[in-house]
Amino acid sequence: MTTSDGLAWRDEDVRGFGMAIGGPARVLRPTDAEQIAAAFAAVRAQGGSIALRGAGCSYGDAATSKGGHVVDLSAMNRILDFDPATGTATVEPGVTVRDLWRRSIAYGFWPRVVSGTMAVTMGGAAAMNIHGKNNYALGSFGECVESFELLTPRGDLVHCTRESDPELFHAAISGFGMLGCFTRLTVRTKRVHSGRLRVWGIVARDLAHNLQLLEDLRGKADYLVSWLDLHGTGVALGRGLMHRADQLQPGEDPPGVCWFDPAMQDVPTTLLGVVPKGWLWPGMWTAVHLRQVALVNWLKFQAGHREERQSPYLQSHGAFHFLLDYVPRWQWMTRPGGLIQFQPFVPFQHGERVLRTLIERCQAAGQVPYLGVLKRHRPDPFLMTHAVDGYSLAMDFAVGAGRRRREALWRLCQELADVVLDAGGRFYYAKDAVLLQSSFARVHGDEAVARFRAQKAKWDPDRLLQTDLSRRLGV
Amino acid sequence: MAPRSGTCIVVGASSGIGLAIARRLALEGRKVALLARREGELRAMAAAIDDALGRQAAFPYPHDAADLDAAEPLFARIEQELGPVDELHYVAGVMPAVALDEFDLAKDRLQVQVNMLGCIAWGNAAARRFLARKGGCIVGVSSVAQDRGRIGRPVYNASKAGMDTYLEALRNRLWRHGVQVTTIRPGFVETPMTAGLPLRGAIAADAAAERILRARDRRRAIAYVPGKWRLILFAIRNIPSFVFRRLSI
Repeated sequence: MTTSDGLAWRDEDVRGFGMAIGGPARVLRPTDAEQIAAAFAAVRAQGGSIALRGAGCSYGDAATSKGGHVVDLSAMNRILDFDPATGTATVEPGVTVRDLWRRSIAYGFWPRVVSGTMAVTMGGAAAMNIHGKNNYALGSFGECVESFELLTPRGDLVHCTRESDPELFHAAISGFGMLGCFTRLTVRTKRVHSGRLRVWGIVARDLAHNLQLLEDLRGKADYLVSWLDLHGTGVALGRGLMHRADQLQPGEDPPGVCWFDPAMQDVPTTLLGVVPKGWLWPGMWTAVHLRQVALVNWLKFQAGHREERQSPYLQSHGAFHFLLDYVPRWQWMTRPGGLIQFQPFVPFQHGERVLRTLIERCQAAGQVPYLGVLKRHRPDPFLMTHAVDGYSLAMDFAVGAGRRRREALWRLCQELADVVLDAGGRFYYAKDAVLLQSSFARVHGDEAVARFRAQKAKWDPDRLLQTDLSRRLGV
Repeated sequence: MAPRSGTCIVVGASSGIGLAIARRLALEGRKVALLARREGELRAMAAAIDDALGRQAAFPYPHDAADLDAAEPLFARIEQELGPVDELHYVAGVMPAVALDEFDLAKDRLQVQVNMLGCIAWGNAAARRFLARKGGCIVGVSSVAQDRGRIGRPVYNASKAGMDTYLEALRNRLWRHGVQVTTIRPGFVETPMTAGLPLRGAIAADAAAERILRARDRRRAIAYVPGKWRLILFAIRNIPSFVFRRLSI
């Protein structure tokens, strides 16, 4: 549909990945920077606002705008250049993590930072400054960005590096799409010496054991992530299965050369080679709605003992990293209410106390997350960073269909957020749905917020770029 | 079958099935000459293979398969630098997009040059040497597209059919001298050449390479990859012309 401004806006229902948040919006899918500039000019003239969106992998409202305009960048998905000698890629913002490794793996390169799904776009990864299972070692996505071009709401194309404008560089990356639209990014990848990783499954008895493992291994392991069974109580509180993965050295895994074929890195699309995994979500939906999540978690925990006995084993990079892609449309198991994720980042010294409190409060409230994921982090230099020297615990909550249950969940998460903020913790906007306006300065500190608002006033004085998230936080 | 130990040449080694074959040959412990056009990419891929194996096994030789006269001297140079060659894989192929009302000689000529004449140039260079040495193996990657002339890509079909027939003749000529010629007819394989095509059930290039080397080891004359395509093509070959012309396959 082409409207009076000459642009092909379409009316769509735009939601976060968790489906619980979002609503109708007018969506444009530009294919070049000129079209984005035209959209900026047209919407500014109307006095409206625009939300920038990549693959829509943010769980909450970071890429939605109820009743507003959304510029979806997924069609700008060309890899403009890839240097096979250095592994440095120049990409359009809609290029996904999958697009990047499919190009790089034949040359022995893998993205330095990847999320749990390969659907994430480079523009979205930079805007949210995503992290991976190696955050404690290699830092966040922004740290592998060498430069970017940012189209500002006023229509200027700014080429930016760490050196040319450090303030903009560190604010646009992590700035959740508030300062402008990335139109191209130059990102570094890293050398890998095999198409596979050496992986260990390690059973963690309880929360303290989990945290101890993270501390013991973080100087040695390349990747660490722990799945938590948050239904465990008493001595089993915070039990789980830690996964450690190490890169292999040259000559250590010669057969791993065959996994340099990109198709060998994709996660399998069928179960046992026969059943399409796209058919699995109704089974998971049944487990959620018959309240059998605790049983499923217990079974998974018990299966961890078997995995531990079989460790270490070799696994492709893709199979290790992209667990969220194993079951297509898995989030539909939480229909009709959808899901939200709550991922607090807690400083090291308060880690065990705060995380224990969070889990206990969820259990006491009868709202136990069906999934918990624990990771280790380190600080990074980005202005709106979520990273701390400490831990994060991602908790996935199924949102009930009823209004009262939904409100109770939001209240619970806001109480949990207070506990985290009191301990000097932070939050990650790709995962947030509940923080209040009053929390924004508590997350980042008054100085960082003032600097960010100064950048916003400089590059977007008309406040053209807005999302449901930015309005909720009063950015 | 005597274990092979000589040098291998893979023509068309910078992507897809050719690259996957080159990796697996290197993994077998062979010296592999990788031939493809783009020098930077080729060198980086060879370096990645060496890096994974922890030893030098992949040797890049920039070469344009359409440059037919370069085949013979390059074959000689590879033998001089890496030692006698006893295995040739011809995997180079081009499949440009062709509209149903398009008859473009430039595209057609390129397909005949790369898909058919290139195979003949390298096949001849190998056959001459292997015949004299009474041993060696030539593997040519043809296509299931060679079995019928179809509306979508007339010259791709024709060039692959020409290559396929050449390989059959070479096999008949050389088998009595102990030289093996194996024709591979792949079905849907996930490669850069087929990127963007709606290929249901396509297998990974590495899976195709594994099957191709198995067919080589079993001294197969013609191998469909994967094997189910033999049945599918049997059916397609036997569709009468007056029916086939009405189909869009």
